[in-house]
Amino acid sequence: MDTPDSENKAEETATEATPEEKKICMETVNRILDSFPSRTRRYLIPMMSKIQAEFRYLPEDIIKFLMKELKITRAEIYGVISFYHQFRVTEPGKYIYKLCYGTACFVKGATIIADKLKEKYHIGQGDTDPSKLFTLEFASCLGNCGAAPMAIIGDDTHGNIDPEKTIEICNTYTL
Amino acid sequence: MSTVVKKSINFTLNGEPVTAPEGTVILDAAKQKGVFITNLCSNPKLKPFAACRTCMVETVVDGKKELVYSCTHPVAEGMEVTTNTEETDRYNKACLEMLLVEHPLDCPICDKSGVCPLQDNTDALSLYNGRFEIQRRNEPSIKTNPLIEFYLNRCIMCGMCVRICDEIQGVQALDYHKRGYKIKIGTANEEPLDCEFCGQCITVCPTGALMDLSSEARGLAAMFTNTETTCNFCSWGCTIKLETKKGKLIRIEGDETLGVGINEGNLCAKGRFGHGMVQNKKRLQTPMMNVGGEFKEISWDEAIQTIAERITTTVNRSGPESVAAVGGETLTNEENYLLQKLFRGVIGSNQVTNLNHVRAPYINAFQQKCIEGGIVSKPITELAEADVVLMFNTDVPSEYPVAGNSIRKGAIYTGTDILIANPRNVEFKHESRTEVRMTYKPETDAAIANRISKILIDNNLIDTAKTKEAIPNYDDFVSSLEKFTGSYTEEFTGVRDAELTRAAERLGRNADRFILIGNDIIDTGQGEAILNALLNLSLLLHHGGEGSVSIYPPREHCNSQGVNDMGMVPDYLPGYRPLNDAKAISRLSSSWGTGKLDKLLQKDMVADLWKNCSQGAIKLLLIAGENPCHSSNRPSTVKEALRTVPFLVVQDMYMTETASLADIVLPTCSYAEKEGTFTNMSRHVQRVASAVLPEGESRPDFEIFHDLAQALDKPFTHSSPSEVQKEIEKMAPCYQGTFPGKKSVQWTPEESGHKPEFAPTIETTIEDSPQGYPMKLISNNHMFHIGSYTHYAKALVDIGPSCVAEISPEDSEAMDIKSGDLIRIKSEMGFLDIPVAVTDRTTPGLVYVPKNWVDVPVNKLRNGDRGLIPVRINKQG
Repeated sequence: MDTPDSENKAEETATEATPEEKKICMETVNRILDSFPSRTRRYLIPMMSKIQAEFRYLPEDIIKFLMKELKITRAEIYGVISFYHQFRVTEPGKYIYKLCYGTACFVKGATIIADKLKEKYHIGQGDTDPSKLFTLEFASCLGNCGAAPMAIIGDDTHGNIDPEKTIEICNTYTL
Repeated sequence: MSTVVKKSINFTLNGEPVTAPEGTVILDAAKQKGVFITNLCSNPKLKPFAACRTCMVETVVDGKKELVYSCTHPVAEGMEVTTNTEETDRYNKACLEMLLVEHPLDCPICDKSGVCPLQDNTDALSLYNGRFEIQRRNEPSIKTNPLIEFYLNRCIMCGMCVRICDEIQGVQALDYHKRGYKIKIGTANEEPLDCEFCGQCITVCPTGALMDLSSEARGLAAMFTNTETTCNFCSWGCTIKLETKKGKLIRIEGDETLGVGINEGNLCAKGRFGHGMVQNKKRLQTPMMNVGGEFKEISWDEAIQTIAERITTTVNRSGPESVAAVGGETLTNEENYLLQKLFRGVIGSNQVTNLNHVRAPYINAFQQKCIEGGIVSKPITELAEADVVLMFNTDVPSEYPVAGNSIRKGAIYTGTDILIANPRNVEFKHESRTEVRMTYKPETDAAIANRISKILIDNNLIDTAKTKEAIPNYDDFVSSLEKFTGSYTEEFTGVRDAELTRAAERLGRNADRFILIGNDIIDTGQGEAILNALLNLSLLLHHGGEGSVSIYPPREHCNSQGVNDMGMVPDYLPGYRPLNDAKAISRLSSSWGTGKLDKLLQKDMVADLWKNCSQGAIKLLLIAGENPCHSSNRPSTVKEALRTVPFLVVQDMYMTETASLADIVLPTCSYAEKEGTFTNMSRHVQRVASAVLPEGESRPDFEIFHDLAQALDKPFTHSSPSEVQKEIEKMAPCYQGTFPGKKSVQWTPEESGHKPEFAPTIETTIEDSPQGYPMKLISNNHMFHIGSYTHYAKALVDIGPSCVAEISPEDSEAMDIKSGDLIRIKSEMGFLDIPVAVTDRTTPGLVYVPKNWVDVPVNKLRNGDRGLIPVRINKQG
C-alpha cells in the first residue's frame, strides 16, 4: 500500500462495499497507519487504539485491512483484541456506561444497580441496548471509592448512585 | 551442519561431564543424554517458552546456586546441573498439582491415555495424592471442522499447538484468546478452523485437548499397536506411525522420537489423514477379467495362468521386445526390482519404464550428471541446518509440506536465508531475516538460473580460476551465458536484476546451500533446459564456492526415486549401470541364473511407449499401480494406446480409469499391508512395514511377480523382501548398507566427481499462444491431494472437497470475475467449467488449477507435450 496506485485501489474496493462513508473511513485508517514509522506488527496495539478512538470500535473491514497490511493472521489479531478489554469489535451504544465493580462499589450495591439496568434496558455486561444508547461495561475499581457506588457514563462521573437515581440519570441521556 | 560453527560448552549433569553446542537449553542437552526432566511445554522443534513451569533444575555456576527453568536456560561453561533435588521436586510438584486441579481425569476415554506427558510427569513426580479438590471444567467439545476436535477442558495452556502452528507450520491459525482464568486456545471468534490441516497441533498436544476426528476409535493410545513405516504420498518420505487396533487401521501419527526418520515427527494433511484409502470397501477385492466389456471375477490361479500364457505366446510370436511393463512410483523398491528382473531375466525384454521416465527422461540424466560432477548432496535431515535454501518453482506448502517445516525451523535456529523463485507468488511464511523473491514470468525459469550463474562469474562471487581448472568445458559454458545480461534477463523474466544479484551474492558466500526443485518444471515443457541451468549453477557453486551444495531431482511420488534406482528404465540396469556395462550384466546373469543377457540391447520401444502401443509394436503391457489415463499429460493418446494394445494387465488397489481398460485387473495391497522400502527424493532408503491384513483377496505386487515367474517356469529363488534386499545390495552396490531401511540411510553413489561437466545451456523462449488464448494455465498437486488414491480418503475429501481455480486480483478486476464465480477455462483442446477463487498467490496472466480431481481433468486441455497450456477464461452464468 505504499504506492499511490495501490492506495487508490484499496479505496475503490472499499467503495464497492458501501459507498462514500467507507471511502472516507479507509482514508482515515490510512492516515492513522501513516502516522506510524512503518506498517509493521510492532505497532499493532497503538494502531488499534487510534483506530478505535476514531471509530469507537474496530469494524470487521478495518480488521481485515490491518491483517493484510501488517501481515498477521486472524487468530493473532483477535488474540490481541480479546486480551485487552478496551478493544471492541461490535459497535457500542452512544454512551459507554462504566459501572464500577470494585470492592467498595460492589459491597455498596453495584450489583443491584446492574440488576436495575438489566430490568430497564435488558443489558448485561458488555451488552448494548437495542436503541444503541448505552453499552454497559463493568469496570474494576475506577478510583473513586469515596463516592461508591459510582459509574462513568460517557465522559461524566456520577457518584453515590442508587437504583432509582441510576434511572433518573440515564434518562438525561438521549440519542 | 551449517557453516556457522557453534562453540562447545562443557558442563556436568548430575555429576556426569557433558558437552553440548553453545545455546542448547539444559532440558534438550539432558534429553540427548537420556536424562528425563519433567516438562510439558518443551519441544526441541519449538522456541523456549516456559509455560508449564514444571522443569526446574538446580544449577551451580562459580559456586553460586540457582534454581532455573531448564527449558529456557542455556548451558554454560563449568555449570553443574542437578535434576530432581528435593527442592526442585517440591516446586515442580506444586505447579503440576495446580494444573491437575482443572484437568479432567478422564483418562480411560482420552486419546492420549498411555502416551500422555501429563500422566508421565505426574508419575515421575510421584504425585499420587493431590492436595486440592478437583474443579472440573465442563465445556462442550468443539467440532466445527471435519478433522480436529478441540476438547478444551483438558487444555493446560502449554501453547505447543499455538507455537507449532506459527513457528513450524507458518500458518498461525491458532492463538490464545482472552486472558486470566478465561484464557483459551483456538481460532478467532471460535470460527471453524480453516488451515493447512497438518494436524501438527495434535502431535504436540501433551494432553488430548486436540484430537484426530478422522479416527473412529477413542481412548487408550497405549492399547494400539504401532507400526513404524514410510508415508506413501509425496517423495519427501516421512516416517509415520500406523496405529492399529483389532486389525483396524485407526489413525496415523508422527513419531517425534529423536533420530527417527527424516521428518522429526512433522506430518502434513495427506500423510496424517490419508489413511482412509487403506481399509476401504471400494478397493478391488478379487482379480477380474474383462469379458466383452464387463468385468468378471476370476481366481488368482486363473489370472496368473492367463497372463503367463499370454506372455509366452506373445514372446513366441512377436519377440520379447513386444512385451512391456510400466513400474509403479508407489511400489516398493523390492517390487520394482522384481518387475524388471521378471522382464529382463525371465521374459528377456528390456521394455521396462515408469511414468516419471516416460514424461521426463532427462531427470535421471540430471541426477547422474550431478553425481559425476561431484555433487553428492547432503541428507535431507540436515535441511534445518542449511545456511541458504533456494526453492525453485516449488510451492513448498503443497508439494513438500514437511520440507517447509524443516526450513522454517532452520530460519529460526540456523538463520537460514530463503530464496524463492516461482512464476506464482507462492505463500511461504517463515521467520528468516532474509528472503529474496524472484517472481518471474511463466516459462522463463531457465533464464533465472542462467542469470544467477552469470552474476556469480561476472562479479567474481566464486573462485572462477578454480572452477575453470576443475571443469574442462568452463569456457564454453561462460560463452553460452553471454546472452543473459542484466537488461536482457530483466526484460525477459520480469525480475529486477537487483533481486537476482542479491540471490547470487547470497549463494556465492560460504554456505551450506540446499536447492529444492518443484515438479512444476516438468509441466513447463522446458524441464531439461531448467535442470541443465540449475546443474550448471550448482557446479559453479560446488567447485568455485566455499561450503556445500545439495540439489535433489524433482520427484513426485513416494518411490519415484526408487523405481528409477531399481532399473525400471530402459537405459539403466539396477543402480544406474548402463546397459552396455559388461560387468553389471555378468553380475546380473550369474545371480539370476538366466544365462546370457545379451539380448537386452534391443530396440527401445518404451521411449515412445504410447505410440508403440497404438501402432501395435507393443502387444502386451503390464502397468503396476499407475493411472496414466489421468496423470499423463496426453490422456487421449494414452487412452487410445491402452485400448489398442492387445493385452493389458493392470495391478492396482482401485478400479481406476486405466484399470477399467485392462483385460485383467489384479488387486494389490496398499503400503500398510506389505513389506519393503521406499527411496525418497533425497535418496534415503526407508522401511515400509505391514500393519494390517490385506483387503479382500488383494496381494502385494511382490507375490504377483513371484507367481508370474513361477508360471513362466523360471521361478525366483528368493521368497521374502529381505532376501531380495540382499540381492539388490549385490546388483546395485550403491544400495549397500541401506536395508532394511529402519535408519533412513541415504544411498551413496559409487563413483562421484570423476567427470564434472557443464551441461549445454538450452535456449528457451516464452511459447507463443494461439490467437485468442491470452492466459497460461499452471497445474500441480493440491495441498490435500496427490496421485489417484487421496480421493478415497474421506478425511481428505472433507477438507479438500472440490476443485477450485485461482486467478490474480488484477485479472479478477479486469474481467469482473469474483471469488465463487463459475468460469469456463477454454484451451484449443477443450474446456472446463469450475468455480474460481481470487488469490494473491496467482500472478496476472496465470490461471492455476489443481490436477487431482478426476471430474476436472486439467490434462485434457493440454495439447500433447507443449508446456503451460494457453487458455482463455470467461465468466459462466
